Amino acid sequence: MTLPSAASRELYGTVQVFEPHRASLPPMGPYLRELWRRRRFAYELSRTTQKAANSDAKLGSLWLVLNPLLLAAVYYLLIEVISQRSGGLPAFLHIVIGLFTWYFIAGCVSVGASSVTAGGKLILNQSFPRALLPLSSVISAWLRFLPTVPVYLFLYGLGLLLVSASSGPNGLVRPTWALLWYPVVMCILAVSGFGLAMIFATLMVYFRDTNKFLSYMMRIWLYLTPVLFTAEALKLKFDHIIVFGMHLGNVMIYCNPLGPAFGAMGNIWDKGIPPSPAMLIAAVFWAVVTLIGGAYIFISRERDFAVRL
Amino acid sequence: MPSDSDFAIRVEDLSIRYRTTYETNATLMGALRKVGRGERSEKRRKVRVVEAVKDVSFDVTHGTVLGIVGSNGAGKSTLMRALAGILPPTEGRITVQGRVSTLLALGVGFNGFLSGRENIMLGCLAAGLEMDEIASKYDQITEFAELGDFIDMPMRTYSSGMYGRLAFAVSVNMDPDILLIDEALSAGDAKFKEKSSAKMKELCAQARTIVVVSHALGTIQELCSDAIWMNKGELIERGTPQDITASYLRYLKVGESAITMEDV
Repeated sequence: MTLPSAASRELYGTVQVFEPHRASLPPMGPYLRELWRRRRFAYELSRTTQKAANSDAKLGSLWLVLNPLLLAAVYYLLIEVISQRSGGLPAFLHIVIGLFTWYFIAGCVSVGASSVTAGGKLILNQSFPRALLPLSSVISAWLRFLPTVPVYLFLYGLGLLLVSASSGPNGLVRPTWALLWYPVVMCILAVSGFGLAMIFATLMVYFRDTNKFLSYMMRIWLYLTPVLFTAEALKLKFDHIIVFGMHLGNVMIYCNPLGPAFGAMGNIWDKGIPPSPAMLIAAVFWAVVTLIGGAYIFISRERDFAVRL
Repeated sequence: MPSDSDFAIRVEDLSIRYRTTYETNATLMGALRKVGRGERSEKRRKVRVVEAVKDVSFDVTHGTVLGIVGSNGAGKSTLMRALAGILPPTEGRITVQGRVSTLLALGVGFNGFLSGRENIMLGCLAAGLEMDEIASKYDQITEFAELGDFIDMPMRTYSSGMYGRLAFAVSVNMDPDILLIDEALSAGDAKFKEKSSAKMKELCAQARTIVVVSHALGTIQELCSDAIWMNKGELIERGTPQDITASYLRYLKVGESAITMEDV
């Protein structure tokens, strides 16, 4: 028998021990190091998956923009025309940026939910930190979100040209420095999205019908979050109802993990002012809670996934 | 007696059980119905515990080519997945020293809509290689797989032989310390088979460790320096490949025929 060479002898230092476990976390230090080391895999997986998915659609990635735009038109008709409120162009723009942002979160959740079950072959053949799969879904959602930003900026610019006077409640707000808060809010939402992706990916492994419920759940969630309407409109409608000494409108916004972030977004785009500290703190709080909660649920069970697939 | 650090793989009292329910797919509706019928209690749930591996212990020293033989359902693939760290042990302990590369029965998690080139990159990244390492491995892999122009075509256009060749090329060219191969040696034609066994011998010469699961007893006899025979999750016998294949064949009550020695 040949003796191991010096170089390979060095590699033998990487000793792995596999032992039984209960639903508990693996050593987090090595886990996170390995996750960080393989982040490129998450990126390449989402990039190539998206490429593969678009390989036989004629309009391809154009649909990423067309889809929320058409949906925005539908909701605009529904809210503005049928309910006979005339918000005009600013209201339409609010719905467009709301839906573009919402599509990012919905993408994290829906693609993330099936990331583990769809990656069955990969999971059964390779050993790697499984959190890479929901992480890759968040990157996918991000890559799909980015091209919608210039589309919105174009519409916004067009709106500024058409609606010259920005006075009155229906006026369009001129761009201010507060817009710089938008990337911050998006980062907070991305963290929440990763947490939610991990939660629903785990659920999906145990209950395969999760994704059937998911589209309805996301739609209801959309209506409960200040996406199509503003946080103020929500407060106006519900604040006369008091539950446990709190205004229902506030409860609806602050108890919703996505509520404060979308409220902050409304401030930025509709009023041109920075998000209120309360909303910002609440948004960060929810992002941290969903991330830690999701990571705990996912990572403590991920070694069980191979048996369940 | 070799010291502790000479073991590439050490398996101690390993048992792997999994629970399977009668329902083919776990659905929320099924769970709700069960709750409705009050079937949450352990007694009534229709769970069958499958003991895939029962109390198996063995060591593999560096540079060994270990062959595993056994009938279908003997627990060979489960054992391989446990060695790769994919399936957690129910009892016992596995210690693995070195970088593991796997070539398991399902093939790599390749996406048929992507080209061979992109799949190689994904496979290497999943295995934990860095981008610059992949760039240097890339030529080795493509040359070994002999795919020619097909390397830039979507993998759904590949024949099953080409698919298998690429999977094999990726896993052997990762510079693994330990290579786990499950029934993948039948990939490709006679020429590629010869090439793959030459590559495996080369890896052994560098004191790499290989574990092979195969129903082709000829392969086991030719390649391996050591062998174990598993049956219904238990380790029945360990010995030289010649002895083990002989006892396995005696158990099967068939002689050494052309069929059992060939890749089936």
